[in-house]
Amino acid sequence: MTEISAKYEQLIQDLRRDFRPQREWGEGRGVFLVIGHFLVGIAAGAWLFGLIFNYVPGLVAGFLLAGGGGIAHLAFLGRPERFWKMVRHVRTAWISRGFVGLTLFLVGAMLYLPPLVLTSLPWTADSAVGYLGWGMAAVGMVVLIVYMGFVYTASKGIPFWSSPLHPVLYMAYALRGGIAALLVTMALFGSPSAGASSLITIWIVVTAAVIVLFALEIQGALTSGNPAARRSVREMLTGRIAVYFYGGTLLIGLVVPLALLSGHIAPLGVGVLAAIGLFSALGDFFMKYTTIRAGIYLPLRPSQIRYR
Amino acid sequence: MKWGMVIDLKRCIGCYGCQLSCKAENGTPPGVYYARVLKAEEGQYPTVRNLFLPVLCNHCEDPPCVSACPTGASFKWEEDGIVDINHDLCVGCRSCMMACPYTNRYFNDQASHYHPQSATPYEAARTASHQTNVVMKCNFCRDRVRGGKPPACVANCPTVARVFGDLDDPTSDVSRLIKERGGFTLHPEVGTGPSVYYLPA
Repeated sequence: MTEISAKYEQLIQDLRRDFRPQREWGEGRGVFLVIGHFLVGIAAGAWLFGLIFNYVPGLVAGFLLAGGGGIAHLAFLGRPERFWKMVRHVRTAWISRGFVGLTLFLVGAMLYLPPLVLTSLPWTADSAVGYLGWGMAAVGMVVLIVYMGFVYTASKGIPFWSSPLHPVLYMAYALRGGIAALLVTMALFGSPSAGASSLITIWIVVTAAVIVLFALEIQGALTSGNPAARRSVREMLTGRIAVYFYGGTLLIGLVVPLALLSGHIAPLGVGVLAAIGLFSALGDFFMKYTTIRAGIYLPLRPSQIRYR
Repeated sequence: MKWGMVIDLKRCIGCYGCQLSCKAENGTPPGVYYARVLKAEEGQYPTVRNLFLPVLCNHCEDPPCVSACPTGASFKWEEDGIVDINHDLCVGCRSCMMACPYTNRYFNDQASHYHPQSATPYEAARTASHQTNVVMKCNFCRDRVRGGKPPACVANCPTVARVFGDLDDPTSDVSRLIKERGGFTLHPEVGTGPSVYYLPA
């Protein structure tokens, strides 16, 4: 069976179902969207904590991750050569806002970062150009942390995503991802001045917040009265995506980092902290992946018809 | 003016005439359905009946696909309320597909046709203006409507289950049927204000 006919057969099967899974985001080339959202979220978080801890390697990591996220987004688009047209609908579309935010962030970082790393440049970080870059990157960072959750909340066709908690959850992911990026960066470039202990404390607090928010979102979906939202939760917990949820999100993203953090596996050092960051970030990726893959369209069913 | 459609579920016999005529008119490739007919069985033998629900783009008053589109490719014609796509602007992000509560948008990711060897001359002519890697959807056969003809699905319904007209005109057939027969829309709770109404079966 060719790729086209296999996809066609899959669509026909899906159209016959009461609960049709969305496959455009998360399957095939759609994986690039998940990767893009994952990288951009981490990038914004890394930039935020890089600024808070005045840690230049964290800022560099944020910039590189954002660049990678941008490329992943382009790889996802059906018509990447038209990407610049996404600036047209900032007034209503969260994807447009995200595009503008990413552009501001990358341009701002390109103005602010080089003088922190290189010495022979015509401007410094304390110059007007440096401040302009800092401001643009800061605005872009805020947009990147905020916009992703709203992209999903605006998806009225997928009730599971239409939760008001989704944006808050994605903000928490960005913070958790940012800390994870700094923990990994520390292993390569040394600890930021404030030390690793502060980062680990923040990681624990943000992780606890993510767990609570995620539990609330699941509970909200189960009690919303929307059968598609309930079906999404079922897909995630016991269906076709359960393996990614239990293996990726829970085991890799939560159990392993907590086990490492306990110090029973190995004494807490820079390497172990980097491993915590790495596993935490991987868990966040699977969390986003499972949430996206669990999307089920609002059903259109003949049984909904009114009769006289 | 606001174009709208009324589908009489009592008249629909599930013949797929609308779906086929739409495909013939628009030359939509495999996997793209501007018009579909959903079928289901209800009850147990001997009291079984078939249920049919023809679906298409609802050309909403407040279309979430339009506000979700980052490029303005999805837009609404001010003069007649038809929701359309400018394929030259579409970047293929598929956010409109996620935003549509009626799942009536399709991503045309590869040029394909129904005949294994190659496109027939008819298909080639019909698909000449299609783009790949963009989202496609029903536009109420706007070219036909502007030429004074009804959409293909309406013109080819053998039981006259579909009626097309101006929802803003209280004397039009669509407005009259909605009022007299208790026309309803799908998923009114979403608040999009669809222009496609159904009459109870």
